[in-house]
Amino acid sequence: MNVTITEEGAKALVKLEGRLDTTNADQFQKDITPLMTGTHQEIDIDCTDMEYTSSQGLRMFLMLQKTVSARGAKMMLRNMKPHVKEVFDITGFSHIITII
Amino acid sequence: MNWQKSFSSRLSLFVLLIASGLMLGVAILLGLFSSSSIRQVSRNMAQQHLNRSILEIEQVITEVERAVDNLDWVVLQNLDDEKFLYQVTREIVQANPNIVGSAIAFEPGYYKGRKYFSPYSYIGDQTHELRSIQLGNEDYDYPTLDWYQIPKLLGKPYWSEPYYDDGGGGQRMSTYSMPLKDEDGKIIGIMTADISLDWLSDWVNSIRPYRNSFTMMIGRNGSFIAHPDSTKVLNETIFTVAMDLPDTTAFQLGKDMLAGKRGMQRFSLNGKDSFMVYGPISNGWSMGIVNLYGDIFSSVRRFNMFLVITLLLGLIGMFIGCRNMIRRLTMPIVEFTNSAMTIAKGNFQAMIPEVETQDELKKLRDSLDYMQRSINEYIGELKTTTASNERYESELNIAREIQMSMLPQNFPQREDCSLFAMVQPAKEVGGDLYDFVDVGDSLFFLVGDVSGKGVPAALFMAIARAAFRFIGALGLPMREVVRRVNDCLCDGNTNEMFVTLFAACLDLKTGDMVYCNAGHNPIVLIGPDGKSSFLQAKPNLAAGLFEGFPYEDEQIHLERGTRLVLYTDGVTEAERSDKVQYGEEKLLKWAAGLNPLTSSHAAVQDLFAHVKKFTAGADQNDDITIMSLLWK
Repeated sequence: MNVTITEEGAKALVKLEGRLDTTNADQFQKDITPLMTGTHQEIDIDCTDMEYTSSQGLRMFLMLQKTVSARGAKMMLRNMKPHVKEVFDITGFSHIITII
Repeated sequence: MNWQKSFSSRLSLFVLLIASGLMLGVAILLGLFSSSSIRQVSRNMAQQHLNRSILEIEQVITEVERAVDNLDWVVLQNLDDEKFLYQVTREIVQANPNIVGSAIAFEPGYYKGRKYFSPYSYIGDQTHELRSIQLGNEDYDYPTLDWYQIPKLLGKPYWSEPYYDDGGGGQRMSTYSMPLKDEDGKIIGIMTADISLDWLSDWVNSIRPYRNSFTMMIGRNGSFIAHPDSTKVLNETIFTVAMDLPDTTAFQLGKDMLAGKRGMQRFSLNGKDSFMVYGPISNGWSMGIVNLYGDIFSSVRRFNMFLVITLLLGLIGMFIGCRNMIRRLTMPIVEFTNSAMTIAKGNFQAMIPEVETQDELKKLRDSLDYMQRSINEYIGELKTTTASNERYESELNIAREIQMSMLPQNFPQREDCSLFAMVQPAKEVGGDLYDFVDVGDSLFFLVGDVSGKGVPAALFMAIARAAFRFIGALGLPMREVVRRVNDCLCDGNTNEMFVTLFAACLDLKTGDMVYCNAGHNPIVLIGPDGKSSFLQAKPNLAAGLFEGFPYEDEQIHLERGTRLVLYTDGVTEAERSDKVQYGEEKLLKWAAGLNPLTSSHAAVQDLFAHVKKFTAGADQNDDITIMSLLWK
């Protein structure tokens, strides 16, 4: 999983590439730490090139969502591939994470 | 000696080869250089011998000539005194050791009207006594002989060709003849001195620059005056000898000598490489010294042989010395090797021999020592690690047993249903779970999947399973059960762990089933006709995330003979090594191909096998759980 974060003022643009599974979930958690500890008011995550996410990955998104919501900021996931979106739907994560 | 195995032998041999090569090179250069310079030196030496010998013979000749010339006037003044004339000839022979005979031969009829008058004194060949005779008579008609006639005709002194004198001396000789002239310049006789060719031959025999050298003298027409082979004197000329030699340069040599030339000529003497230095003698003769190169080089060859033997001995000595020295210097390497072998065999405390030098060997020793210490430290660490790993492993095994015992194995033995489930964790322990309870005609069952895997998932799974066991026994509606379990799981879940669930309660009499899906994969329905489909269910939300989430349940009526296949995403997301997943489509296809009457046990095992065949040995990346329920 390749994570690229660019900042535009209070907005963070995040680009995710590849697979998010058990083998790299820990690394992913480290990669998104700046987003959890930062003060961005809006986090825009581009999922165009995300190929797969495991339940561990879902947990990461959830943790990020909760942290971001706690500081009153917004987070959204964009352009998710259908088979990835399906995982969010099946588990009901689509209810608690903004996916557009 | 095994060259491949002995470093010292190999190195010594190498040194030896280099040294031999160098010595050989030097020897060849030396040989080439010395050979040409030796030739030059030998020629010079022969030339010097020749010059000296010519000087000597010329001195003899001059003495002889002078002995005669000086007494010219004495004879002319005392012509009348016969006795005195005899005395003169005796004096000449006595005073000159080189002169073997001397005569004063007068013109026929000149001396007191005698036809022959020639007082002659000579040293007898046999007796070595000085005798005097009157030489001329009818048998010895001297005016016709060369030694008399030629100088008379020439009117000046003359050295005769060698001849055998049978008049008096009775030996081979050459005669110096000087015309005696009266006041009018008329020749009245010839005064002579003889030198012995035997003596000359003896003398030239002593001229030997080299062992087999020989010296010869030839007269004006090429006949030998002196030759080591005395039979050749008088009998042969240089040309008759040259004719017998295959090398034609000898013939030319003769011509050059006759022409009074001086020089050096290389030629082959009966196949032997030779050279001759030659030069003219004042009286028209020529002297030559023949030398054999074989002679010259034989001493050189002896010296060379000595040199080669010395070198060989030196090389052998050097080889032995080198080898011993290298062996001594490299002895620590052998010892290090032994130590290393001992260490390699498992004796990590083996002694490494000390070295006293501060060179590469010392470094080698230090690195061996360092290696040994590192190995010992590493082994120590490894032991500790292994011990703690073993402890973890045994603890994990215990945990696995505990976890597996949480999953009920006493599947209901009923006529109206066949239930079987199996969990296969990716690690020792996993986060998947299933459970079932049959109470009367109701069968409660569920399959769940905790996020992540391993120990954290296993702990959360244990909580979930305990919560279900406890809350499920309260007899609440399905949605309420899930809601309460969710609230229970949310309590204190700071790690955002969650579990996806599919829980259902089937009325085994009617086929009515109430189910609640908490973010779990859609379950597979296989109708009595064998048609397979996914059961449509509201996703709700995985449990453990939001306290108070309003989970909702749904109802469905099943036909008898319907089979439900519950599973976790370990099935659909099972991956081959090329990251292709098993997927839902394959699952549906498998379901469609399943015999509707197959027992649940066989069905579960069949699906496991199908997935395993698909992944073809790739590592299992997630826990897999499969449950099959056939309502009959």
